Amino acid sequence: MDGNGEQHGSTHNGGIIEVRRLTKRFGAKLVLDNVSLSVEKGKTTVIIGPSGCGKTVLIKHFIVLVRPSEGQVCFEGRRVDNLGEWELSEVRTRFGYLFQEGALFDSMTVAENIVFPIRQNYKVKNWDEVEDIVKAKLAMVGLDGFQNHYPARLSGGQRKRVALARAIALNPEVILYDEPTTGLDPIRSDIINELILKLERELGVTTVVVTHDMKSAYKVADRIIMLHNGKIIADGDADHIRNHPHPVVQQFINGHVGEDDLAILRMTGSAGSAQFLPRDFEQ
Amino acid sequence: MIAALGVKTIQDIINAGHFGRFAWRSVVTSARSCTASRTYPLVWSQMNLIGVRSVPVIMITGAFVGMTLAVQAYDQLAGMGLEEHLGTLINISVVKELGPVLAAVMLAGRIGGALTAELGTMNVTEQIDAVRSMGTDPIRYLVAPRFLACLLLTPVLIIYADLLGVIGGALVSFLQFGINSRAYWDLSAYGVDFWDVSVGVVKGFFFGGAIAIISCYKGFTCEEGAQGVGQACTEAFVGSFISILALDFALAVISKHLYAIFWPLKSLVG
Repeated sequence: MDGNGEQHGSTHNGGIIEVRRLTKRFGAKLVLDNVSLSVEKGKTTVIIGPSGCGKTVLIKHFIVLVRPSEGQVCFEGRRVDNLGEWELSEVRTRFGYLFQEGALFDSMTVAENIVFPIRQNYKVKNWDEVEDIVKAKLAMVGLDGFQNHYPARLSGGQRKRVALARAIALNPEVILYDEPTTGLDPIRSDIINELILKLERELGVTTVVVTHDMKSAYKVADRIIMLHNGKIIADGDADHIRNHPHPVVQQFINGHVGEDDLAILRMTGSAGSAQFLPRDFEQ
Repeated sequence: MIAALGVKTIQDIINAGHFGRFAWRSVVTSARSCTASRTYPLVWSQMNLIGVRSVPVIMITGAFVGMTLAVQAYDQLAGMGLEEHLGTLINISVVKELGPVLAAVMLAGRIGGALTAELGTMNVTEQIDAVRSMGTDPIRYLVAPRFLACLLLTPVLIIYADLLGVIGGALVSFLQFGINSRAYWDLSAYGVDFWDVSVGVVKGFFFGGAIAIISCYKGFTCEEGAQGVGQACTEAFVGSFISILALDFALAVISKHLYAIFWPLKSLVG
């Protein structure tokens, strides 16, 4: 299937986030190639694709953490990629962003991390009220009582849940998840999936998830978009993706290694030649 | 070869543009932050880290500068029978040049490295992106407090360095060389003006500002990984050091011209 054909078909007019003919280059490297898509309000859109295909770069464009080389990014119909940092602050407070490694401030406690966006964007008069908010946000991710812990003392899953509590501190309308289940065991991964569904259900937020975990994608997605080499090659609901005729899509969702990947392994030498030990060298 | 040189030149010009933009935004944002009361606690905590904790090392630097000058200059002056002028030579060198420059170099090492390492680590772990994603300008939250703390406290630290330099020089002159203290201080008071002290202290604002902006810029733009952060720290120190020397030269020229404008007769006699 022609990648561009699927891309143009994916643009739903009137979405809360719209990306039009987005191209991003880092030096000579083309990361996103003329991508167009629209994220529907109140739904969960999952962006899948192999590592390094541009998924994270794409969602960073949604809140303009990265500026496009060409093309436009719009939020609620208003172009945002050309705004200055000060104007973007207001737009960004309407998003929550869960970073791949959590990006918690390691010099702050869990409570201080969650208070941070509140303190930076509002004049706090009643600190008891803020304490209640922190408690409620932590309870939502199942970590009430961890207020005084430092991020370094938390497990990977707990750090992601704290980061999620911080991402929802300002009651965002859109939550962006960057690889929320990466590095977690299957049970912790499922806890995060349940949290994504819970937040969507209880807060009515629009959700965008970047992942290469197909189990997670099938569980939370209303719509799945697949990126490959900077282009959208598949776009539809879970069934559409499962039955997609594109060989790269089938290879990715079934987790099969391709002939190209095997060819690289064959070219780069045999296992025997990698068995050197110190005794093979002169002392 | 020529193509590679051209590519490097273009890249250097682009980097200089990025740095200029970063410096401009830092200065403007810091000026705005002066009127925002919520910035004050951030500035206060940076002042503690940057200023208060640097006092011992700055005082040691100043004291050794004064003492070394006394040891080095005594023989030349004593040979001409001018040993009582030792105070003038030591004190003017300390307050105008060596105190400010060596205190700033010491700060570039102590503070510059720490700022770059802290912000660089925040950068590679996406903490700076996290600040931006929550609607906060990282220049306002991270750079402005550090810039203001360096700007305000470097001149104060230079006063400490000057003070200890003067005391160190005097102690060596009196105790080791037996110079008459009355003549030492009288000639020093005659030879060192308020202007000389002021020039040294004013240099502190420029040195402090340069150290903060270069260190923060290197932290914000450092490459990924431990090696990237380490390299950014090295570049921050080298950049700060060269800037201090270049600014010192420029300010020496400017202050000389200003002195000639305000005190034309004195400058002719001096």
